[in-house]
Amino acid sequence: MIELQKHGRKDYQPTLTDAPLDVMTLLSMPDHLRKTAMTLCRMGRATADEISEQTKRARAVESAYLNQLVIMGHLKKERNGRKAYFFIDKETKG
Amino acid sequence: MGRIVAVHSYKGGTGKTLLSINLAAALAEHGKKVCLFDLDFRAPSLATLLNVDHSECWLNDYLNGTCEIDKALLDLSERVHNGGKLFVGLANPATEAIRDMSSKDRKWEMRALGRLLALRTSLLNDKGFDYILMDTSPGLQYSSINAIVSADLVLVATTFDRSDVDGTRRMLRELYDLFEKKTEVVLNKVLDASSKAGKEEITSKVNEVYQVPLLGIVPCFCDILKARGGTIFANEKPDHPFTRILEEMATKIDKMA
Repeated sequence: MIELQKHGRKDYQPTLTDAPLDVMTLLSMPDHLRKTAMTLCRMGRATADEISEQTKRARAVESAYLNQLVIMGHLKKERNGRKAYFFIDKETKG
Repeated sequence: MGRIVAVHSYKGGTGKTLLSINLAAALAEHGKKVCLFDLDFRAPSLATLLNVDHSECWLNDYLNGTCEIDKALLDLSERVHNGGKLFVGLANPATEAIRDMSSKDRKWEMRALGRLLALRTSLLNDKGFDYILMDTSPGLQYSSINAIVSADLVLVATTFDRSDVDGTRRMLRELYDLFEKKTEVVLNKVLDASSKAGKEEITSKVNEVYQVPLLGIVPCFCDILKARGGTIFANEKPDHPFTRILEEMATKIDKMA
């Protein structure tokens, strides 16, 4: 998101906070996002590359979907060196 | 590696629990290490049907994050004859617990899904279970959909009741398909399944209506009604026709691996 701001993107959207990724939310998602979200649910924490190995879709595609899920508030993103890890925040009290 | 099987239905009273218990027992009688879970938190019934009156921990506690899964498992392997293992995880039947489980929020349900998904590692990988069978609530309940999402195979118990057929068909397209789940139908309480021609007609009808494979046809047995849930046929009546049907289903499930 910071990157989007830096590049002055007009489609920048603020990140929604704490939108639980429960099964009803998964059901209401478009198919392409559900596949990515379900894969991350199973893996717990993963990079776009690791997700793409499971879904057999391109890494760049998964990266876009994962970032979209972060903006929607369903996932969290964390950088470790050059790698970006995505995960579901289960700790926040809700 | 072992597999997770969820037993679900659109309507109540289709025979999910009877099927779950007996299928778990049949798989254990095949020498498998099986764990049966009662995920019907709205109307827990396995504790009564299996004559278990207490548990150190319930599945409610595991999903609440207040106990580990080992503490919620009861070993009923002494009821199995062929060296197989049968464990159960029970839903707390106390009214207070049912009320508590009905008032959980989305965040809790999300964590519960995480805990169910974690069973793949803790029970299938680490403890060497061959199967986890999950008996669920009917319809679109959180606990049921969590079980479906966690499962490798969904068995849908259905009858020829018209509202059940319509609802099941919708669920197949709008629930199991969306989660890309392998699904098989078990047709229960069938009246005319004695002849080969009758079975073939039912099989083609099911294929046409649901367009998913038919795992088995269970005729309406008066003996099951007479037993009033007090008999696990797969353990106690090995020669009963119901047990033989379950054994066939268990063999088919085993071959899918």
